[in-house]
Amino acid sequence: MAGKAGAARGGNKALVDGFERLALVFVFAATIAVFGYLRPESFFTWSNFAAILGSQSVIVVTALGLIIPLTAGDYDLSIANNLTFAATLLAVLNVNHQLPVGFAIAAALAAGAAIGVVNAFFVLYFRMNSLIVTMGVGTFMHGLTLWLGDQQTISGVSDGLVNAVIVNRLLGVPLGFYYAFGLCAILWYYLTYTAAGRRLLFVGRGREVARLSGVAVDRVRLGGFVCSGLLGAIAGVLYVGTTGAADPSSGLSFLLPAFAAAFLGATSISPGRFNPWGTIISVYFLVTGITGLSILGISNYVQDLFYGGALVIAVTLSQIVRGREERLA
Amino acid sequence: MKRSIAVASLVAAFQILAGAALAESPEAARAREQLESYRKLPTFQAPGEAFDAAACMKGKSILSIPASSAVPFIKTIQSSMSKVAQKVGFNLKIWENQGQPTQWVQGFDHAINNKFDLIDLMAGADPRFLVPQVKAAEAAGLKVVAAHLTGYEQPIPAGVSGVVPIDYKRAGALLADWAIAKTDGKANAVVIGINDVLSTESMMTGIKEEFGKCAGCKMSYINVTLPEMATKTQTNVQAALTADPSVNYVIPIYDVLSQWVVPAVTITGKSDKVKVATFNGTPFAIGLVQEGKVEVDIGENLDWIGHAVIDAEMRMICGLAPVKDPKIPLLIFDKSNADTAGKPPQVNTGYGDAYIDGYAKLWKLK
Repeated sequence: MAGKAGAARGGNKALVDGFERLALVFVFAATIAVFGYLRPESFFTWSNFAAILGSQSVIVVTALGLIIPLTAGDYDLSIANNLTFAATLLAVLNVNHQLPVGFAIAAALAAGAAIGVVNAFFVLYFRMNSLIVTMGVGTFMHGLTLWLGDQQTISGVSDGLVNAVIVNRLLGVPLGFYYAFGLCAILWYYLTYTAAGRRLLFVGRGREVARLSGVAVDRVRLGGFVCSGLLGAIAGVLYVGTTGAADPSSGLSFLLPAFAAAFLGATSISPGRFNPWGTIISVYFLVTGITGLSILGISNYVQDLFYGGALVIAVTLSQIVRGREERLA
Repeated sequence: MKRSIAVASLVAAFQILAGAALAESPEAARAREQLESYRKLPTFQAPGEAFDAAACMKGKSILSIPASSAVPFIKTIQSSMSKVAQKVGFNLKIWENQGQPTQWVQGFDHAINNKFDLIDLMAGADPRFLVPQVKAAEAAGLKVVAAHLTGYEQPIPAGVSGVVPIDYKRAGALLADWAIAKTDGKANAVVIGINDVLSTESMMTGIKEEFGKCAGCKMSYINVTLPEMATKTQTNVQAALTADPSVNYVIPIYDVLSQWVVPAVTITGKSDKVKVATFNGTPFAIGLVQEGKVEVDIGENLDWIGHAVIDAEMRMICGLAPVKDPKIPLLIFDKSNADTAGKPPQVNTGYGDAYIDGYAKLWKLK
């Protein structure tokens, strides 16, 4: 009898687990179904989905960059500044100094990784809070960006980069989407199947325990900051590839949507953990909602209501499910 | 005989049909006429009587507070103003800031404490957020001027002493005229504006009036906010192009928006069908005209604006009649003349330099 009750409880738990993992996916599918029903002729078209998929690579990569230090228990508020700095550096080298775009991209990526090292140096060597350090370094980088680009928008970046990000397509979807998807898959593999990825999670769950277990905590956190810096710079390269230009400020507005996607993503696929698939689903869920509302011609304040509301409701539902799960356990 | 009559009739019918096909609609003809005078190199027109600027500005000072020092076009206007002030021989100080109203307030305190003669609120440092400060400055004997903020027809905001308006309504009208002329009166435009910015209202008045005169035209409007323009513009334009496949023009009313409009048009695969028309004449956007990604950019010469703002403010300090129309010209940049702005485009290039001599004579510096 007790065995049957235990099995039933186990079955319920598995059901709740599965529901929690996929709740966001279900809501996403429902969102698509509702907008598709309301505007089948424009929303339910491959060109619409291709446009949605192909236009969000910058936010996806920025959010992926955030979840690495977040997994290790650190914040990187400098990532959007890193993005704009990398974008401006690329444009300055390629347009103003006529250097090959490949060289300019390499320089931008190297700069991104270097910013990660600087963040890590202050956080780890001086034992400072990552929130404060990355905010300060980010603001400093903004100053450098303004100086570097002479506070101007720089256009005329090599068509090769623009073609490689939004013009050339596979199955009708701009290549930028596949780069972001590929990075997501790599990050998922790294966090799930490599010892280094598991150490990152271990450090995030309890630094002292990790240290006592022989994990080189500082080295793991350094790696987190460097990866975040590198991904911020990749997002900058994709941003230039999307707009064909770089300006000193607009990239900063990607910070909060990227954080929103990272936190919303943590309620799905691997609930309670920052995870790449959850993050990418969150980005596309939010942008699909906004696109659907725009197609319906609904005013933009409703888009903000949707964006903020979806975030809070999803996290709340996740907490409710987790509470039920704990009672079942 | 019968055959020749038949041939003649056929030829006549063909000519009538061809003529009908080539003839412009009245709406398009009117729009083209409106655009014509803005395709020529602008000439200098004095905004008021000549005066001895160096003599009356001796010992005077202006504090200029920009909306944000990080905005490229404001920085360019202010660097022009600094050069002009140096040329005339008075003190102009720029209150560098990061766009926070609290920093603008500090600028007011600085100007009052250091006995400046005039506070210039430049291009978006909005006096509606600074009513107590404006009152305090005016009570202390300073004049407060909002420059490059309002259109000609908009009222003076928040009780400031004066404004240096820009003909935003005309700029908006020209954007609509461009789309009407190019589509022969069948424009279906998506217009993108930023309602947070006061001049949007004036530009939209011009756009709506012109489209209102075109029976075969349609327009829809998307508002994006300043903080969200990088994240929302592209998504909203993509959705608008998907929702209505007959759209043939996208009009971002400020050319900063064109950097997100162009990828939206590209990603939706409509680069051949949907054209982009915009306003401001920022170098990067004229670069997009050169590359064929933007069809037209209606430009304003930022150095000319710098001269015009200083002219209007000097007149106010010197007690002369206020300037109602600073005579700042607009110039159309399309593929036919975009290269005159330089390659890559440079600020203040392509407008000629008639105004430099014109102002020097007006201020009796020559």
